Amino acid sequence: MILVPVTYKGGVYRLDEIIDYIEDLGGYIVQRHNIASEVVLQVLMPKEDIRHLITFSRPLGGEVIESPLVGTEIAVVIPSLEIHHLPHSACDVAEYLRSHGSKSNMLGMARGFGKRIAQMNDEERDLINEHDLAIFVLGNFASCIEKKFPKFRYGLTVPVILTGGPDREVLVKQTDPPVAGYVGGLGRFMHRTQTEADIHRLDMVIDEVKKVIEARRQEIANDPLSVSPARLQALIKQELPEIEEVYSPSPIAVQLNGLRVKLSYPTYAQKVRDLVIEDEVKVGDVADVLPSRMRDYILIRIKPLSETNIVV
Amino acid sequence: MAGLDYFEVECTEDGSDNYIKVATTVLQDHNLLGIVEGLHIYIDPQYPLFVAAGFIRPPRSVIKISDVGNVLLQDGQATIAVGDETYLAAMLKILWQKLGHDNVDQPDRFTVIIKNTQIPKDIRDWVVVDPAESLFKDLIYAIQVIAPEGFKVRRENYGKNRFSYAASENTLPAADVEKIIADRFARMEEALK
Repeated sequence: MILVPVTYKGGVYRLDEIIDYIEDLGGYIVQRHNIASEVVLQVLMPKEDIRHLITFSRPLGGEVIESPLVGTEIAVVIPSLEIHHLPHSACDVAEYLRSHGSKSNMLGMARGFGKRIAQMNDEERDLINEHDLAIFVLGNFASCIEKKFPKFRYGLTVPVILTGGPDREVLVKQTDPPVAGYVGGLGRFMHRTQTEADIHRLDMVIDEVKKVIEARRQEIANDPLSVSPARLQALIKQELPEIEEVYSPSPIAVQLNGLRVKLSYPTYAQKVRDLVIEDEVKVGDVADVLPSRMRDYILIRIKPLSETNIVV
Repeated sequence: MAGLDYFEVECTEDGSDNYIKVATTVLQDHNLLGIVEGLHIYIDPQYPLFVAAGFIRPPRSVIKISDVGNVLLQDGQATIAVGDETYLAAMLKILWQKLGHDNVDQPDRFTVIIKNTQIPKDIRDWVVVDPAESLFKDLIYAIQVIAPEGFKVRRENYGKNRFSYAASENTLPAADVEKIIADRFARMEEALK
């Protein structure tokens, strides 16, 4: 069963019925945001049942939107966490991704600034590799990006989208070997993105991200995962009540082929491995439970069917 | 750019448009548009080198106690009815320092009373804030924000009505920088005549 990502927006009135309905259809609620009296649910659910949810929620004024970025964790990488890049442009890109359903993390490098002096350390590289996708938000000059970007991409295993001030064609031409996506005309800016032209640029980032994520989903569909990340999330929530005491905005971040669980690895890793999914199948049988480079969190990488011969 | 009589970004490759926007936003955010008269930015991403040269207008006049509020001298005490809260904290600091904490009272948000002490006659003319003092610091900080971030090797100069700033990630080519700055100042002077 292939789960597709959708966003549900609606009021609190009879919300419990909506949640029950989604769960009855075999869907999972990945994240829930309460905004004043409105609720936004990010849901992974079977494709053929989306129309049922639309019909069911219509009398309640609910809105169901397909949003391919739900269930992804994306790194927005900037040269440093200095005023030169914050709060605009980096935050605006990260926030726009968030509003489209993705879980975005901003990663400012310790010494990523400059041209000749730019560098990235192994902790930063490992951290980026824990995400589904990395977006590099670089500066305004083509010659600068040409010189510094190869230092950053070295050792990255996740798809990369390069954004910068020069036109897209220039970025494409100077990047060898090519990366997964490019957005030109963005670069470093100090103003809030509020004009139509600014928003258009952010939309281009989203389009590029959607393209890459969809290709990645297709790749995963060819050799399906042994268990859906959303199902594992629901299981952990049910079996490990300690997760309720984690005050991060998303205690369990769902990724395309795994999860980041914000519990201490030394204490909880074995408990997670021993969780029974179904019959005799434990989490440890279908996934690698690894220490994350982010604090002491747990990173779960779900193995594909070809490796385990199990689908639960 | 509004407020500036001369503004130019010169760049050896494409990208100057973005720096026009960056510079405008930063000067606006730091409230410096009214103070800078002319600004010339030169960027060479190859070396890389960032140079900024500019003229400033005569700084605004000093803020006195009489600008902060109305001073009423009566029965051996002074009552200041605060009109502009912006400089209230700075004024209180000066009053405390010069007249003593115990003698300066602020019964409510907009009233300051000085009593139990000899009230100086020239109290209305006491200087609360001199904008010229922090002007160059603010200006250099703003230019630092405009400049690309990795340019940690810096040289900044400011004189009576002009300032210059040069930065790079490599050693600054002193002779070239001097030449660029002098040349851009000459150009600006010509344009501002």
